[in-house]
Amino acid sequence: MKVNIKTIKDITVIEAEGNIDSRTAGDFEKATVDATQGEDKVIIDLSQVEFLSSAGLRSLLMLYRQVKARNGKIVLVGVSEEIQDVMENTGFINFFTLTELLEDGVKELS
Amino acid sequence: MNSKTFPGTVESIDLIRHYISEIAQSAGLDKKSSYNLKLAADEIATNIVLYGYEEPGLEGNIEVLDEQTEEALTVIFEDTSAPFDPLARELPDEEDLTKPLEERQIGGLGIFLTVKGVDDFSYERVGEKNRNIFKMLKGRVS
Repeated sequence: MKVNIKTIKDITVIEAEGNIDSRTAGDFEKATVDATQGEDKVIIDLSQVEFLSSAGLRSLLMLYRQVKARNGKIVLVGVSEEIQDVMENTGFINFFTLTELLEDGVKELS
Repeated sequence: MNSKTFPGTVESIDLIRHYISEIAQSAGLDKKSSYNLKLAADEIATNIVLYGYEEPGLEGNIEVLDEQTEEALTVIFEDTSAPFDPLARELPDEEDLTKPLEERQIGGLGIFLTVKGVDDFSYERVGEKNRNIFKMLKGRVS
């Protein structure tokens, strides 16, 4: 599990790669929560994430709370069909904007 | 019935997931069913390792058994930690799952995803062993 953080315009872009499970979700959460302190435009690129367990959902929940507290918005990019199903079953999907491509995510937040 | 034993440590969770993928593939499950079985296996293996073995400071294994018939693939996890029925706890219901994320309880999603993702999930305690049983029907068009 790797996390890479960059900035596009005034948007914080977090690229995750690998599996987000009970072993890696802590690192993912720390990296994303740290990178989005005081930020209100956030993109999480999950196109290189193959597997996301309930531990990963909990990390997304914590991140959502932090960004939402500033009235910010989170766009998830490139979420696989299987992970989308999981987000739908758990009612998470309604609280995030999903786009297929990074450029659409940037447009969404511009 | 095939069987493979993994030590009940966090390092095994990745390996179990990988092993389950292989079993799902050999059973010919479609992509979605394979993912859902893998997810269910991950959630239950995580609970066994973290709460069954690590938290009370116990050592033990997870034995992964699998059996195929023409209609179904059954995967069974056996462990020797204290009796724990994942289904004993109340699962999040429709009301919980439509709540805004600000108001959500943090726990309970893992078992919910397990039950939701497989065609049948059951638990039994046999002698000194917990048995978590996952069943996937084959040839389902999704």
